Amino acid sequence: MLCDKCGKQEATVKFVQIENNKKTELHLCRDCAHGYPGFSTGFDLQHLLSSLFQSVGLGQAVAPTVTMKTCPTCGRSIADIQKTGRLGCGSCYEAFREELNPVLRRLHGSGNHTGKVPARAFPKVRTARQMEELRRRLEECVRLEKYEEAAKYRDELRLLEKQLAGGEA
Amino acid sequence: MREIASWMRRTGPMGDIVLGTRCRLARNLAGIPFPEAATREQLREVLTKTAAAVAELEALGTFTYREMATMDALEREILVEEHLISPSHMQNPAHKAVILNAEHNISIMVNEEDHLRIQVLKPGLQLNEAWERATEVDDLLEQHLDFAFDLQTGYLTACPTNVGTALRASVMFHLPALQRVKKVQEVLGAVSKFGLTVRGLYGEGSDAWGNVYQLSNQITLGQSEDETIEHLARFTAQILYSEQQAREYLLEQERRLTTEDWLYRSYGILQNARMITSQEAMELLSDLKLGVDLGVIEHGDPDLLKQLMVQIRSAHLQSIMGQPLPVQERDRLRASLIRETLQKQITKGE
Ligand SMILES: [Zn+2]
Ligand SMILES: [Zn+2]
Repeated sequence: MLCDKCGKQEATVKFVQIENNKKTELHLCRDCAHGYPGFSTGFDLQHLLSSLFQSVGLGQAVAPTVTMKTCPTCGRSIADIQKTGRLGCGSCYEAFREELNPVLRRLHGSGNHTGKVPARAFPKVRTARQMEELRRRLEECVRLEKYEEAAKYRDELRLLEKQLAGGEA
Repeated sequence: MREIASWMRRTGPMGDIVLGTRCRLARNLAGIPFPEAATREQLREVLTKTAAAVAELEALGTFTYREMATMDALEREILVEEHLISPSHMQNPAHKAVILNAEHNISIMVNEEDHLRIQVLKPGLQLNEAWERATEVDDLLEQHLDFAFDLQTGYLTACPTNVGTALRASVMFHLPALQRVKKVQEVLGAVSKFGLTVRGLYGEGSDAWGNVYQLSNQITLGQSEDETIEHLARFTAQILYSEQQAREYLLEQERRLTTEDWLYRSYGILQNARMITSQEAMELLSDLKLGVDLGVIEHGDPDLLKQLMVQIRSAHLQSIMGQPLPVQERDRLRASLIRETLQKQITKGE
């Protein structure tokens, strides 16, 4: 389909506008979509998110117990989350883990956090993760034959190892 | 007159192409629903707890906690124009706050989409510096606050697109030469395949005024913060290289005169216009900045030019004039502010 605005390039973005309760759809090419004054990726994001939830199979035959399940902290159901594309609280992640995991994998290509860990809440895990990161950098430096930098990371690693063994962390 | 946020006051590393770098961390307090799902009392609880944690930040300087409802509309809009708060944080000020340091390069939005949005802004290309400072702020706050976190999913956020590291790192590019040779889409269009995203100057839904583009990471789960920063830095280097190539192309002998003519015409309009919209001003200032950065146009002070890019925005303009102004008046005063500033620079440069 050609762009509704310039009629020259292939339309790649669907732009939905609601004004005075009237819905208009525009199909725009990338250039025109970018210059379009009302173009909002925020609006599309919400739709994209709820569609991600829908394709998990929620729109189909869902066992009544699943639909009735609500988060113990905020009281949201998976239907609420699906509608807004937003979770109600931290406990939602635990309560709807099964439904969320495929969504997270679709969004990020992974369901597992490998980054920072809060220091006060998880001191040992934090140190372990820091060590993983240092090991990764160390290997990278060795591979690139940056031995001076590698030595620096090795020293940092030893320090953390000592900390972990000494139970200080 | 109020001072502009430090990251917009000066040019930084690679300042001819990179206007600024931002790192944003989303954090939520454990056991309290996210702002959208929280009651007024719960939102108040977040404000109280966060306000009490501000003291932890002492090591990083002086921080001020302000509730959005205590600011007038103009003050809030100025913070948006300096990227210190988001437009949505300005629009519904009830039960929201912002914590700012004196230099205005660290801001913490309270009760935006998440309980806390820690932002660090730096002039020019400073990805590592911005990330290191943001994680420092996070560590200091965590001494006092319990964050919603689990080992499998990481930092828990209202939107599943942020969960994990909850880090959004952005580089703000000025790409006038790529735009001129019509290669912006080619260079930026492919980034989504690599887990990155491009937006205009003022974030989601905004246009790329004055050829300013923000490149950010999209993936927050399954990669560490360092990997995210490295990945973004790699693409940044690519984009820098492409823009530099385009700039060299514009200066090649057979098109140098055309380039000079184009840039000097824009300069001429800025020096003479009696009325100008912020959009036109941004476009022409983009040309002028390119002219100065290429050495085509001799100029006193690149920092003043960067400051002009934010001073011409409506809230800043009205704040300079000390009163709210009708749109036509703004266009007139914007034109005269630009003329005066450029005149000053010419005298300064001589
Ligand atoms: Zn088009
Ligand atoms: Zn919940």
